[in-house]
Amino acid sequence: MRERHLMLLHYATGLGILVFGAIHVWVVFFTYPLQDTIWETTLQFDNLPFAVLPVYRNTLLALSLFGLLVCTTVHAINGLRVIIIELFGPRGITTLLTKVLIGLGAFLVIYGTRTILIANMIT
Amino acid sequence: MDKMTFRIKRFVPEISRKHFYATYEVPVKKGMTVLDGLIYIKEKLENTLSIRYSCRMAICGSCGMRVNGVEVLACHVQLAELRTTRITVEPMRNFPVVKDLVVDMDEMFHKLKYLRTWLIRRDVAEQDDPAGQYTQLDEELVRYLQFSYCIQCGLCYSACPVVSTYPRFLGPQPLMKAYRYTADSRDEGASERLKLVDSVEGVWRCHFAGSCSKVCPKGVDPALSIQLLRRKALTGVKGA
Amino acid sequence: MMGNVFEPPGLSEFVHKRKDGSAVLSSLIVMLNPSKYGLERWSYVLQRISGVVVSFYFIAHVLETGNFFGGITVWGPISYETAKQSYEAVKAFLKDPLFDAGLAVIGLLVAFHSFNGIRLILAHFGLALKRPSRPEPPYWPSSFSNLQRALFWLSIGLAVFALVYTLDSLMGVFRS
Repeated sequence: MRERHLMLLHYATGLGILVFGAIHVWVVFFTYPLQDTIWETTLQFDNLPFAVLPVYRNTLLALSLFGLLVCTTVHAINGLRVIIIELFGPRGITTLLTKVLIGLGAFLVIYGTRTILIANMIT
Repeated sequence: MDKMTFRIKRFVPEISRKHFYATYEVPVKKGMTVLDGLIYIKEKLENTLSIRYSCRMAICGSCGMRVNGVEVLACHVQLAELRTTRITVEPMRNFPVVKDLVVDMDEMFHKLKYLRTWLIRRDVAEQDDPAGQYTQLDEELVRYLQFSYCIQCGLCYSACPVVSTYPRFLGPQPLMKAYRYTADSRDEGASERLKLVDSVEGVWRCHFAGSCSKVCPKGVDPALSIQLLRRKALTGVKGA
Repeated sequence: MMGNVFEPPGLSEFVHKRKDGSAVLSSLIVMLNPSKYGLERWSYVLQRISGVVVSFYFIAHVLETGNFFGGITVWGPISYETAKQSYEAVKAFLKDPLFDAGLAVIGLLVAFHSFNGIRLILAHFGLALKRPSRPEPPYWPSSFSNLQRALFWLSIGLAVFALVYTLDSLMGVFRS
């Protein structure tokens, strides 16, 4: 039954990406006045309501970024695992590549969480 | 047009382990099918060409092959509808080639056996010696009737992109047959089949590319049956 | 066993090996060839490709946002000034029309993958599909119901909109 649970996780994280991703895309791409580009507004470091630092310092937005990180990592790593299985079949290299993918996923989550925490704690 | 060029992918193991392409000119009459052209080649031009056919009317499923890259039944395609004077005929994909256009379909049939694609009842003694008919309402029949029209030609198995990269994948035809029996109200073996189908090589490797339904000569729509089987696997067994 | 005398075979004995060596490459070519098989095959190929490309972008994005705040060597709190400096340095590197165009393409792929993914989740739960019926000749073969086809084209449309909108918000290309 394990494959069914992995696929349910794939669907659930996909929907999670839709929700958290919508928040992220809204913050970066839909909160600036129409005459500017995002380089002058949401991609400024500070001093604007939705600039980079204020977004990381806001607890709810930082949590949604963390949710997006976890959901995207799980969804992407599982998707790549499926492609590896379908290309290489049940041979030994598949297990090795799956372990590499899980390691990569763990690194991405840890490194991304570090970024969010460091930015959140800047005074 | 009165002549057509057939470029056939041949494989003759007694002569060489490599396949080669041979070209033949076939005179065309109105109403000729690809199979008629191949039989003409076999009778008049090259009698060592191996082809498999039987009914010549798209009901036995023997003459499956690829014409211009697409899986068709050779007896079902008229030469005139191809709108070209040069066609390429190749054996089906995803099966080992025995000779020329004849393939070994054992793999697909063994997967049918593996998935227990027959009516399973708990009371085996009663099934062997029934007291009466198993009755079924029309609504119950329509739930699986479309999938029982399969002639087991193997075109869907050949067209599936997942089977070509991952041979362990059960394939559209076996999975469709598994759904046909799972959805049958007379069947009681759903949980057994679902265990086999809910696996790494089962229903989860289908990505709804729909090529199986596109090439099916009987309108069976295996892709639909696999999504319905998936729904059963995701939401649990709720009875037939 | 439910009482059947015939013991079905295991799976491994009968799966024939595809030819070795170039098997992965030739099967990749088959897998990624959507021509002649209709719209659904195109949807499968585009979903695969967009998924893989966006995965690589995602890895690069996590590393790039890490660089905003000091990079892989920094694992403790940093001051406002250090953060501002490292952010401005990365921003100067990224503010490039080539990267902007690339991000617009990523936006296209993300939008297509997401909305097509919604359509696939519906299909995998058996929703928005055709109902099984009695096949009538001529047998028009297609696994797409009208709703599925509409959702697919909607995904394409939203993907194009995402491309246009991203180009506009990054480079202001569509302003008078």
